[in-house]
Formats: sequence, C-alpha cells, structure tokens
Amino acid sequence: MVFPTIEFAIFFPIVLALSWALMTRQWAWKPFILAASYVFYSAANPMFCVLIGALTLANQAAAKLIHRSDDERYRKRIVAAAVAVDLGTLGVFKYYGFFAEEVNGLLDVVGLGLPLPLAAIALPVGISFIVFQAISYVVDVHRRVIEPASTIDFGLYLSFFPHLVAGPIVRAKEFIPQLARPRDPTKVAVGAGVFLIVIGLVKKVGIADFLAREIVDPVFGVPQAYSAPDVLLASYAYAVQIFCDFSGYTDIAIGLALLMGFVFPQNFDRPYRARTFREFWRRWHMTLSRFLRDFLYIPLGGSRGGKLKTARNLMLTMVLGGLWHGAAWGFVLWGFIHGGALVIENVFRERMRFSLPAWLKWLLVFHIVVLAWIPFRAPDLNLASTFVSRLADWGPATLWTWPVVFVVVLVIGLQLLPTKPMDALRVSFERLHPAALGASMAAVIVLVTATISSQGVPPFIYFQF
Amino acid sequence: MSEKDPFILDRPTGRTLRARDAIVCVFVAALLLLVFQGQSIRESGKQMDDGIERTTVLAVGHPAGWVADQIGLGDDVDRLTASLSPDDAISSEGGFAEIAATGGAKAGAVAPVTADAFDPAALGEKPVLVPNLETLLVTGDSLAQPMDAELARRLASDGVRTIREVKLGTGISKSDQLDWGSQSTAQVRKNKPDAIAFFLGANEGFQFQGADGKSSACCGPAWAAPYATRARRMMETYRQAGGARVYWLLLPMPRSAPRQQIARSVNAAIIAAAAPYRAQVRVLDFSAVFTPGGRYRASMDIGGRNTIVREPDGIHLNKAGSNLAADIVVGRLKSDFESLR
Repeated sequence: MVFPTIEFAIFFPIVLALSWALMTRQWAWKPFILAASYVFYSAANPMFCVLIGALTLANQAAAKLIHRSDDERYRKRIVAAAVAVDLGTLGVFKYYGFFAEEVNGLLDVVGLGLPLPLAAIALPVGISFIVFQAISYVVDVHRRVIEPASTIDFGLYLSFFPHLVAGPIVRAKEFIPQLARPRDPTKVAVGAGVFLIVIGLVKKVGIADFLAREIVDPVFGVPQAYSAPDVLLASYAYAVQIFCDFSGYTDIAIGLALLMGFVFPQNFDRPYRARTFREFWRRWHMTLSRFLRDFLYIPLGGSRGGKLKTARNLMLTMVLGGLWHGAAWGFVLWGFIHGGALVIENVFRERMRFSLPAWLKWLLVFHIVVLAWIPFRAPDLNLASTFVSRLADWGPATLWTWPVVFVVVLVIGLQLLPTKPMDALRVSFERLHPAALGASMAAVIVLVTATISSQGVPPFIYFQF
Repeated sequence: MSEKDPFILDRPTGRTLRARDAIVCVFVAALLLLVFQGQSIRESGKQMDDGIERTTVLAVGHPAGWVADQIGLGDDVDRLTASLSPDDAISSEGGFAEIAATGGAKAGAVAPVTADAFDPAALGEKPVLVPNLETLLVTGDSLAQPMDAELARRLASDGVRTIREVKLGTGISKSDQLDWGSQSTAQVRKNKPDAIAFFLGANEGFQFQGADGKSSACCGPAWAAPYATRARRMMETYRQAGGARVYWLLLPMPRSAPRQQIARSVNAAIIAAAAPYRAQVRVLDFSAVFTPGGRYRASMDIGGRNTIVREPDGIHLNKAGSNLAADIVVGRLKSDFESLR
C-alpha cells in the first residue's frame, strides 16, 4: 500500500481510531497493530508477509539465545548466524540475479560455460529496511545495548506500517522502549504530525513527480536526444526529485507515527546546504548513515589504525552503502564517488594550511553530489556516460520551462536560507484548532491530487531499495 | 541505552494535543475528502482490478460518490483545479463510443476487401518503402517500458524523433480510465507520426459494451469480437489512410493461467483486427519469440547466453527482454523505411 492513495486514506483513519481506542488495553492493541501492519504489507504481495514473519521468528530466536548465554564465543556464533540469515535473505532476493548474470558473463569470457541457473525473483518491498532493522536488533542484544523484547514487540518493531517499506531505519533501542507502556493520549503531537504529512505530500506529489514527468524521466531515458542545457537542468532536477521523493516519504512516515503517539528519528536535515561530505552524510538519509557507521564503519576499525586503514574503511563503507541500494554498477560508482570524496576531504583537512571560502566549499560539494546522482539514476553505466558526454554538446534548451526552473531553484534555495521563516510557519500551523488542521490537510490533498496524472502516483523511489 | 546521536532529533517540537484531537483532525480531513472527492473515489474504484482493495474502495466510493453527487461541490472543485492536471485534454473524437453510435455493418452485407488487406512483400512483390522516418510514436501501457526508451536511444542517431507516451494501467477493454480510441486520434493529430509502435495488454480482460450494446465477460469470441473492433478503430486511426506504418506487438504469454487466457484472446483479436490493413499494420508476434508454443519462460537464449527476459511479476519484459523487443521493432522499421537502410 502506498501512502498517497485512496486505499491508504481509507485504511489510516480506521486504524488510527481503533489504535487509540485500544491503546490502554495493550493485550489487544499490540495484536491489532501487528495485524494492521501485515494487512498494509500484504497489499504489495501477501506472500511477503510470510517472509517478514519468518525473519521475525529467526531473529527473535537468535536474540533469545544470545541473551541466555554468557559464553562469548557462542554468542558471537549466534549473532553471526543471524546476520548471515538476514544478509542471505537480502542476497537471494536482491542480488542473486545480478550475481548470476555477472558470474555467467565471466564464465563465458574464460570459456568455462557452466552458467548458474537464472531465476526472476520478485523483490519484496522494503526488504533492505526490514533486514537492517533485524540486524540492528540482534547486534544490539549481543552488545548488551538492549535486552530481547517480547516476540510481539519485536514483530511490531519490524513491521510497524509507517516505517515498514522505506524507513526511516529506526533502531530497536529507539522503538521498542516506546512499546513498554501505552502511549500517552494527552500528549500527541497532532500539529507537528499533520504538518509533516502535508509537507511530505507536497514534496512527493507536487514536486518530485512533477519534475520526474517534466524533465528527469525524458532526459535520463534518452540522453542522446538532448543537449547540454536540458541535461544540466535534468541533473539538478533529479537531485531535487530524489530529495523530495525520499524525504517526502519519511516526512509522511514520521507524521503518521506522531499521530499514533510514536516518535521516529529524523532522516533529512537540508542536505544540499552541506559544505563538506562529512556534513552531507549527517544531513542525508541520516538513519542509514548512522546504521553504516555503527554496524560497518566502526566494526571495520573506523578511524583507528592509521590514515590508510581509515581511507579503506571509508571506501568500503560507502561502496557497500551504494550496493545496499541495489544490484547495479551505477550504485557502486555512486558509493565510490562519495567514499573517494570523503577520503580526499580527510586528506585536505589535515594537510591544507588555508580554508576555502564557504560559498566555494558549498559549490564544490553540491556539484559533486549532483554528479554522483547521475550513475545512481541512469539505467546503466553506458547511459550515465552518454548523459555526462551530452554536457559538452551545447544546443537548444527544449525542456526549460518556468515551473521546472522555479521548483528546482526554490527547493535548493530553501535549504540554503535560514530556517526561521519555515519554523515560524510550522509553529503557526501547529497552533490551529484540530478541525482546522484537518481542513488544511484536506485542502492540500485536493490540490496535490489535481496534479496526479490519470495513471496514478508513481511509487516512491526508495520502495525499490 | 541512553546514548543519543547528536544529529538526529528524537523529540517533536511544538505543542501537543489529545489523541481525540488527532482523530478529529483526521476524520475532518476524511469527511471533507468524501464530500469533495467522492466521485473520484468511486471512479478510481471502478478502474481497479478485482480484489479486496477494489471492493473496499467501492464500498466507500459508492456512498461517497452519491453524497458528492447530491451536494455537487465536486464538479466545482474539479473545474477550479483542472488547470493543475498534467493530462492532455483530449476530445471524444474517434472514441470507442462512436463505434457504438455508428453500429456495425448491415446484416447480410459484405464489406469489400481492399488492396490494403495485403502486404505486397508477402505476395512476392517488391516491398513498398516509405522514404523517411521522422517521427516514431511508441505508446501503450506499462508493457511498452523500457522498450520505448531503448527504441528512442537506438533511433536517435538516425535523426528519428521518438515520442514516448506510455499510459500506465490502461487497457482497450477498460475505457473508463482512458478511451484509447480518442487517445489515438489525439496522438495522431498532435504528432503526425510516420510510424507507431503499440504494445499494450497488461490490464485487459474487463467486461465492456460492444457496438451492439451487449457486454460479455472475457475471454470468448463474444468478448474478442468487440475488442477487435476497438483495436481496428485504433489501427485505422494510426495508419492515417495508409500514410503511416503501425507495429502492433502481440502479447508474450504471462505466467499466470488466468492472464494467459486473456492474452490468447487479445492476440487473436489483434490478428483479426489487422486483417484489412496488412499493407500498413505489422503484427509482431512476441508470443512466438518469448513464449514459443504458448508456454511461459523467464529466460531464453540471447546471443548464446541464457538470459532472464521477464520481470519477476511474470507479465512484463525486463531490460534484456525489452532490448530484444526493440531489436525486432527496429528490424521491421528498417524493412519499411528507406532512411533507416
């Protein structure tokens, strides 16, 4: 089920009302929300519920075994087995086809001709997010950061519908304690929740889908047909599209959770205002950055062990972070560009005796980020290279329309400006009467619905990851 | 446990209200949407595939639509927001309703067979070449993706302008959402394409009213006949009185048995529909290429390598499959257009 759809608009008010009605009776509330979350997930494919159920049981069993034992070797073996099951699941569903194709190609080249069997395997929606959360739970139990939750609490943590399919990646230590007692019905951040839902809808439907339709999809689909001005604008437009699409989704997810009394971590903080790559990764997909830092970069050794090892760890983390998005060389290259930039930035920070002006730092970082999005978005590396080569071919600007240019400049500009005006708007909005909040939400929904084409709302970009 | 990330805010700012206020807020929004968008909810439900989601949406959409009809505010909202719609405004000209209005041929009358019913090359004559391919229209439903982009890329170096107009979720038997009769008329009027590649059929099998006013359930002759009539209407539009070439792609068999039944019926209807226009309408049999013998397969031999050609949904072609489809279409275009030789 996708948030901006009629099905979800029917589903959510019913679930919200029943959720608060049952809140004080936790024995009924937990199974109800778990069932609602599975209904939400089954809209994509009922069989996927079996997978999430199996992952829940396997990781819960591992967590219990780890908790019961004091033998560190045994605990390590169990955590390794659980992580292997999680990553194995991810591997089969997400990477098997890519792996088999690449290995078959390699075998052909060396004339071995022993191809791996090929199968078209359906990718369960949000599998990467689910697997990462399962790993964070088992590892945090192993690290004694948390104690194992009850099976139903852990099941709820993995499947809670607002964050089920595209994050934010909520850590077990952040969510499970919120299940310990009923949420307080006198302290619900209604205004903040509705504000985030409204902003998220505008970002997704009003901006991201508009830019995709008007410039991004045509140019990235057939870059050969366009010259430099269109290609340049399309690259900026994609940077804006992916930000609005993904942050729009997480805004809606966080807003829905707030209405239900739950708090999720923030996932974006005006990433395109970053002046360093380090800062960019503290502002972009923050929950993934945090996950990669805590479960990959630091276990690899982090910045301990000298400059070379730090550089290796950074590159590995970013390339694997790229590969997390999907089985394609474009994602690997994207990770490589970001990893390389972080390494170079570290070297410069230590060696340079002078500092570049702030505006120049921003300009450099922003344009490298935009450049890195090109292989990320392009269907394959050949087309990414064609896309970049078209930047040298100056010709007519066929897709430069005022609305497209305005939206691109507006979204980037808003990230550079101080937050005070936006904060003031949010505070005024939050002060509205609940009925007025509802009316405002309805008005925004009517307006954004009018911008949807007859073919419906395209899926969120991060659903495929 | 209390370790906190400095860059992730973990508490919302601003005032808090009661849970009752959250419910009031959401239900006010829902109520207003039912009043202003009731008709849209009902129409969206009608266009959905059978299943629990459709039933649920219609269970809300019917009463909401009735309320919206009585109040009449929905039309005003539609008028006010019409300028925001990204869809092209198309007239009903050439639409499927016109077929119903004009009816079929008189009983007992035999429509004359014209020379257009024969492809000269198939009769051993010299093929009739069209000098220039300037504009290619690639259209249809989701099946046409990503083949449309692949065709555009391959033909870009030949100076061909490729217009890609994929209408997701549409079907010829599903004209409530999009009337392909009107759509094809609008496309031809707007773009004057020299060639049209048409690939559609992921959303077929709906019951619809034929020219005689009767409607039949998929997928027997009683359903295939009006389907073929609609497809023929579109072929007549696309071929532009013989001035353009049409490449109508038959459906490769899908994995599921009920969908296979629909695909067989659609393919048979297309072959029947194209009969009078063999000189201009090429029916490309993708069923034989991707699913020989009508048997589904996910992978096939391409260039000596076993390659996956279908998406996991068992309906669509994946990138490799679409590339092969583009190869076949380009091959046929080359045999028809002198400028591509």
